[in-house]
Amino acid sequence: MWLVFLKELKELIRDRKTLFFMIALPILVFPLIIGVVTYFSTKAVKEAETKVLNFAVVGEQYAPSLVNQMDATENFNRVMLTDDDDLETSIRSGVADFVLVIPDNYNDDVLQAGQIVLKLYLNDAGLNLVQRRLQNMVDEIATHNQRVAFQALGLGADQQKALLTPIVIDKVDVADKRENWGEKIGGFVPYLIFMLCLQGAMIPATDLGAGEKERGTLETLLISPIARYKLVMGKFFTIALAGVTSALVTVSSMAIWGVVLSQGMAIQLVAEFMGAISGLDFALIFLMLIPVVAIFASLLLCLSIYARSFKEAQGYMTPLVMFVVVPVIMAMLPGVELKGGWAWVPLTNVALAIKELIKGTMDYGELVAIFGSTAIIAGALISFCVYWFNKEKVLFR
Amino acid sequence: MIEISQLKKKFVVANPKKLSEQERLDPRLQGKFFHSVRHVSFSCQGGEVLGLLGPNGAGKTTTLRMLSTALKPDDGRVMINGVDVLAQPVLVRKKIGFLSGNTGLYGRLSGRENMAYFGQLHGMQKQAIVKRIDELCELLDLHSFLDRRCETYSTGMKQKTAIARSVIHSPEVVILDEPTTGLDIMASQTVMEFIRQMKSQGVGVIFSTHHLDEVAQLCDRVAVINEGRTVFDDTLAVFCALAPGSLSQAFLSTLAQGGQ
Repeated sequence: MWLVFLKELKELIRDRKTLFFMIALPILVFPLIIGVVTYFSTKAVKEAETKVLNFAVVGEQYAPSLVNQMDATENFNRVMLTDDDDLETSIRSGVADFVLVIPDNYNDDVLQAGQIVLKLYLNDAGLNLVQRRLQNMVDEIATHNQRVAFQALGLGADQQKALLTPIVIDKVDVADKRENWGEKIGGFVPYLIFMLCLQGAMIPATDLGAGEKERGTLETLLISPIARYKLVMGKFFTIALAGVTSALVTVSSMAIWGVVLSQGMAIQLVAEFMGAISGLDFALIFLMLIPVVAIFASLLLCLSIYARSFKEAQGYMTPLVMFVVVPVIMAMLPGVELKGGWAWVPLTNVALAIKELIKGTMDYGELVAIFGSTAIIAGALISFCVYWFNKEKVLFR
Repeated sequence: MIEISQLKKKFVVANPKKLSEQERLDPRLQGKFFHSVRHVSFSCQGGEVLGLLGPNGAGKTTTLRMLSTALKPDDGRVMINGVDVLAQPVLVRKKIGFLSGNTGLYGRLSGRENMAYFGQLHGMQKQAIVKRIDELCELLDLHSFLDRRCETYSTGMKQKTAIARSVIHSPEVVILDEPTTGLDIMASQTVMEFIRQMKSQGVGVIFSTHHLDEVAQLCDRVAVINEGRTVFDDTLAVFCALAPGSLSQAFLSTLAQGGQ
């Protein structure tokens, strides 16, 4: 068995395509994508924040103080429209970035004017931050007017607060930072790990089954005096190792690059979060992945050996992604928790357990159900794989 | 000694409706089954070379696959040096060297690594493998390319390496499925010389071929299969006597007799 495993591993390591997808892609491409996206999105937001906004005002006579403030604000440049100019056309043609229409009831005295509605015309397709920049300015004036009105009414600070927000719910969150983070990202982590394990195992699985058929090496191998189960196990371990390696490389790469790329506070948060998860929890996550990877590897090997060619194998394997996504999505649903029957549902239970381990709320007693059910399924699938490898109808289709 | 008697093998036809008109007329198609091998019998002694002839689709490869234990016969018996293929397939695998229609080499391994891997699968010790590889290198002239990856080999290099790999464990019987197909004259000559060497060492060799000149040069016995049945099994001399001066005519006459 180990002879087959070592030979398959040697071939796998010499296959540049597989190595690229298993190691180079996770190490280089993911951080590159994150870096490029972060760079361009940050650049776009910065540009939108500092862009000189050409604006026009209709009804400026009703709100001279507001218009004066706009004129005085950096990167706000007023343009004049004639009476004949259509507002929408002016924006579409690029004469103005936005037009503010001030109603004739505008008054700084809130008690007299009531609620005032300013109409903002702009082309809101794409990132522009026009409304946010204008809102900041208007909020300042509105808050000032509000304060003046409250003073005119003779209301004290407490009364003002009560009037603005009569009832407040003060949340006392007993969850610690880890539990909070775990709840937020705990559902996504198993999804990511499962997918990476599956994707990492797919290419070698295709090569070790259908690839052997296509290249004509399978027949030669089948007539060597090695027990069929040893042959299957050798291939199975290679696929499983590829899946685990791919997942580990990717997760490590994302974690390292995430810390490197993040700044200031983010580093502290990540470090705090990572520090809260114990070594035992990490070890348990890894241990639980073993039967999961075994399930994936045996399924992939069964499909691969059934297929007549690489192409056919890939056709069979693509729907398997859906098969894996469903139980993981189940684990994200509200009300689905790691107890009772759910603890016995393979894949879903591991996804739930990873989430609980990240949150730090794991009931370790459930590990019996998790390891029990996944190991039984994995064992049954491996046995089926061996049976499958003995079927002439499968091997010589 | 290789003894094959009344061998039968049928396959389920996945989709009979998709068969062509000509395929439907094949007498071996019965319902949803295709009786690829219906009645094949022949024998080959140690130190003999048997040429297995037959038109395309006659059942030669299926027969050889049953001999090699890759396929299980539905009926009949195959004995390799006294060992029943059905009863003790693993023991039979140790006794035979098989070269399929495909070279069956791992492209990302070198020729030496391919041979060593199969030597290990046959339970050979490292020292014995090294020694045997050296012998085969000499015999098949593999020195110049054996340490390169097989994916870089020419057809001839691949075929010679595949033959070397198939006999790495010094088998008692060698089965070769069309070993010279696609080879140039030089490479074909090397393969034929190798078969002669095997014969001289007392190894029984069965090889399927479409090249009748190779049969004339190498074989002691000839078996002809047509539509899944043995239509001729005798010595080369008897085969040649069927149509003196023309092996092609002799071959065609066996098919004609078998059809009657």
